[in-house]
Amino acid sequence: MRLGSFFILSIFLAAPAWSVDPPSDASVRGGKTMEPKIIVNSGRLEWVPHKRELGAWPTLSYQDRRATPEPQRAAMTAPTNGDAARGKSLAWTWCIACHTLPGDEWPGTVGSPMWHYKQYNHADALVYQQIFDPRVFNPHTVMPAYGTFGLLADQDIRDLVAYLQSIE
Amino acid sequence: MTISRIALIFLLSFSTVAVAAQPFVYREFDLFEQYEPYVSGDLKLSGSYEYWKDPANLDYRIAGNPDENWKLNWKFMDPPFNQAVHGGHFALDRGEDLFGQLNIKGRFATCLGVKGGGKSTSKLAGLRAGYPRWRDDLKRVAGLEEVIEHCANKQGRVLQSGSYDNSAVSIYLASFSNGMPIAIDVARAGPMKESFERGRKLFHLKAGAFNFACSSCHSHNIGRRLRGNIITTPYGDAAHYPVYKTQYMLQSLHLRFVECNLDTRTQSLLPGSRPYTDLEVFMTALSNGYPVTVPAERDW
Ligand code: HEC
Repeated sequence: MRLGSFFILSIFLAAPAWSVDPPSDASVRGGKTMEPKIIVNSGRLEWVPHKRELGAWPTLSYQDRRATPEPQRAAMTAPTNGDAARGKSLAWTWCIACHTLPGDEWPGTVGSPMWHYKQYNHADALVYQQIFDPRVFNPHTVMPAYGTFGLLADQDIRDLVAYLQSIE
Repeated sequence: MTISRIALIFLLSFSTVAVAAQPFVYREFDLFEQYEPYVSGDLKLSGSYEYWKDPANLDYRIAGNPDENWKLNWKFMDPPFNQAVHGGHFALDRGEDLFGQLNIKGRFATCLGVKGGGKSTSKLAGLRAGYPRWRDDLKRVAGLEEVIEHCANKQGRVLQSGSYDNSAVSIYLASFSNGMPIAIDVARAGPMKESFERGRKLFHLKAGAFNFACSSCHSHNIGRRLRGNIITTPYGDAAHYPVYKTQYMLQSLHLRFVECNLDTRTQSLLPGSRPYTDLEVFMTALSNGYPVTVPAERDW
């Protein structure tokens, strides 16, 4: 089990973030995302590795010729088989900035509140699609496409669906 | 697929030349807004300008209310409302020292664009309010920090854009424009207008793991909450840079863009890069008419 997750982790880490040469004006060194550190009374910036590798997605550089991942339909196979408790903790990491979730004192209001979500009786497949890639429903949405952009895996999204559908 | 058609129309209408020269690349844009290159243009975007247009007379009751204070666009952390002594004041002193060293012969001021150059600091008034500008020597539009780096370089000094010392000199120079309205011309045909247009486009270009554009939040969700933070307007945001962040650091506008990019999981660019300069021109134009106010503080 440990070995298994280590294996998966090392594949992930070994996958090159940059499929092409990084733009020369990106803060990248040795293929790694760097962030600036400001040194008091110095004329130089120090660059240190950022906590996340961000090279896999398009930048604002004029040299960046990579495309945005296009909107993608996702056909969720039944049964949903989601773990609502795990979904809740994922939601508090990924969704809470925009959506109000029960028990939060700092409600986000960019997205719709998730109170009583169960009452809408949405089909699981619909909720799954909204999380996987909401651009299919609204091309101008600000909600990230968690599936298409590789942020969440199939099971993560199932767990989120189970959690949302369980909110009384 | 509707969205690719939308992106295609954008590319066709805004950069026909690029499409002809290079293969089509699918990129997404947030819905475009109209912006006026003048700070009061906010009245058509968020309307909060009403509350922060006069930095000397902010409503202290709004400033003291965490649900409402976003309407002041954080101007209550600018002088004269904010009278606290903070790291920005130390930076100002450091900037004065450095400027004195660099300008012993008056050539640093000449290089920065002070007419006649010289050692008198009185001629520095208004300099900051007219940047970014076209630079014949660089053959491009450049912001003040880029020009500070360039002019220091000519004297063999390294003052990288975004470094503490560069921002310190920038704050010191800006202090001579305190109270003077920002005035850059992006209306007349030419490189400044072109830079503004590129910046406007970039402001709506989606990027990164979350596929956000600047405008996703700052045009289309102003006043809404991202958990504890309330999103503010992009108008009037360039007048107080470089800024002292209450997390104890001095931050140039380009380094703010780096932070914006990293916070939204987008690979950041280098300070002084072309896209950041175009965004600087765009944002500075949205501050046209608003007084330079340094040294200021910000939490965010
Ligand atoms: C950047 C803000 C943002 C984030 C982060 C975000 N959303 Fe959303 N979400 C929205 C917005 C805005 C809408 C409204 C519909 C639209 O524009 O697509 C929405 C709509 C939804 C809906 C449909 C609402 C309904 O009435 O049925 C669901 C379900 C949803 N989001 C789930 C999630 C989940 C789960 C996450 C975390 C994995 C998440 N959202 C993260 C902004 C966000």
